[in-house]
Amino acid sequence: MKNILTSIMLSILLLSSLSSNMLANEKAEANSVNGAEIWADVCMRCHNVRAPSDLSKRAWKFSMNHMRVRAGLTGQETRDVFDFIIKSKTLEDAK
Amino acid sequence: MNKLGASIVLCTVMASLLLAAPEEDSDVKQLRKEVRELQQMMVELKKANKELEVNSDEYFEGENNDMPSNDFYDLKTSVKQIEAALEGNAKSGFQLAGYTSFDWVDAQGSDNEFTGVKFAPIFHYQYGDLFQFEGELEFKAQDDGETETELEYAAGTLFINDYMGLQMGKFLSPIGQYVQNLHPAWINKLPSDPVGFGHDGAAPTSNIGVALRGGLPKVADLRSNYAFFVSNAPSFGEADDGDIGIDASGKTTSGDVSKTWGGRFAINPMGGMEFGVSGAIGKASEELTATTNIGAAVGDKIDRDYDVFGADFMFNINGIDLKAEYVQQEIGENELSSLEGGTWRSWYGQISYQFSSIKLEPVIRYSDYHNPETERNQWALGLNYLFANNLIAKVAYEYNENEDSAGEASINNNRVLAQFAFGF
Repeated sequence: MKNILTSIMLSILLLSSLSSNMLANEKAEANSVNGAEIWADVCMRCHNVRAPSDLSKRAWKFSMNHMRVRAGLTGQETRDVFDFIIKSKTLEDAK
Repeated sequence: MNKLGASIVLCTVMASLLLAAPEEDSDVKQLRKEVRELQQMMVELKKANKELEVNSDEYFEGENNDMPSNDFYDLKTSVKQIEAALEGNAKSGFQLAGYTSFDWVDAQGSDNEFTGVKFAPIFHYQYGDLFQFEGELEFKAQDDGETETELEYAAGTLFINDYMGLQMGKFLSPIGQYVQNLHPAWINKLPSDPVGFGHDGAAPTSNIGVALRGGLPKVADLRSNYAFFVSNAPSFGEADDGDIGIDASGKTTSGDVSKTWGGRFAINPMGGMEFGVSGAIGKASEELTATTNIGAAVGDKIDRDYDVFGADFMFNINGIDLKAEYVQQEIGENELSSLEGGTWRSWYGQISYQFSSIKLEPVIRYSDYHNPETERNQWALGLNYLFANNLIAKVAYEYNENEDSAGEASINNNRVLAQFAFGF
């Protein structure tokens, strides 16, 4: 009986998550101002922040997806922070 | 005579000018002709260049792959390849990250020792914005020279939409904050874990199962995030060292008992602040190690009620960093077992300040751990030097107090610790 209940609950959980696929990855334009705010508030809460020039653009892509899961960021917030970091990195690299 | 001479010179000059004039005119004509030809060539070159650009675009879009390769195409291809390699234009790829630490400890009543070398590589793979896999291995040198290897976590996350990811595999416990986000050596502000937050303490470490997690849309300018999970059950019993405890690290079996259901919800009341509550409910599996009067045999598996509660708080402002967390796991009674249930609980509070100009960071932490057999508390004072934000040298002094269940203080093992930690 417990196994049946668990299976039903698992199925409901999976189906409810998959049914929301209609909202998948809404791609609004990245907002680097919002990204800067989240970077200052959310990242520094847990750890010392890494300078944008510490990593390549490619490495930042991976790091941001990793932090999306760990810090509970939305997809849009993840893109905003990434946009802010890359813009800052471009400025720092040009110096 | 003078006039005659002057007239002859003038006439000669005039005549020579008149003779030379047609020659100059022909040069100008020639020059004009050449300019016209050059202009024509320019027009033709511009036209050819335009055609070339169109054709090269088609070539690189795969619509005209029969075009012969030449230096121009080779160059353009090389540029695109370099851009892809450097900037990660490819949809999928992987990256190696992680952290490492090196420890020295001088404890009262024993010799000082280089006690730990830990290397924890983290492998990241992602497919666009749709899927991510991350796995962390932990290698630790042991006192007998052997190397301990542990799979800390290995989980894939399918990003269903902007607000939800489906995580599958072995993941760090979403209960509280320390275990899932603060334990890496380059993030933890002291060389040791708070008491009760290490392996086999009061805080669950990992789960094997599935989880739904993500950030939620802002409500009244309030950010929030969540994680809900279902996983295999933990086990309860006597460990190899004789301690009675809960093994809440991810297992590939539930031991014939029902799954654990749990989650965490956190809000950010203001920038730099987070407050989270978490909990889980289910059963813990126990394998009997002694016969009882009511017919149960050694090796029989029974279940015990299992409840978890956690609350955590973090605030960072102007270099001041505050962290606090409480977590407890409770095991219910079962008359078939000779082991009593009870509560394993732990909490800590920590404050640190980062001087930006001199790269120093003093830290103070108090932590307390209670279980049915032991009571422990600890004050830790530390000072960190930041060579870089991810390259940190730490020294700390710990005041430790242990009491057994009879209320008698056991050895006072105050310690001096030093650690060099690096995140990459």
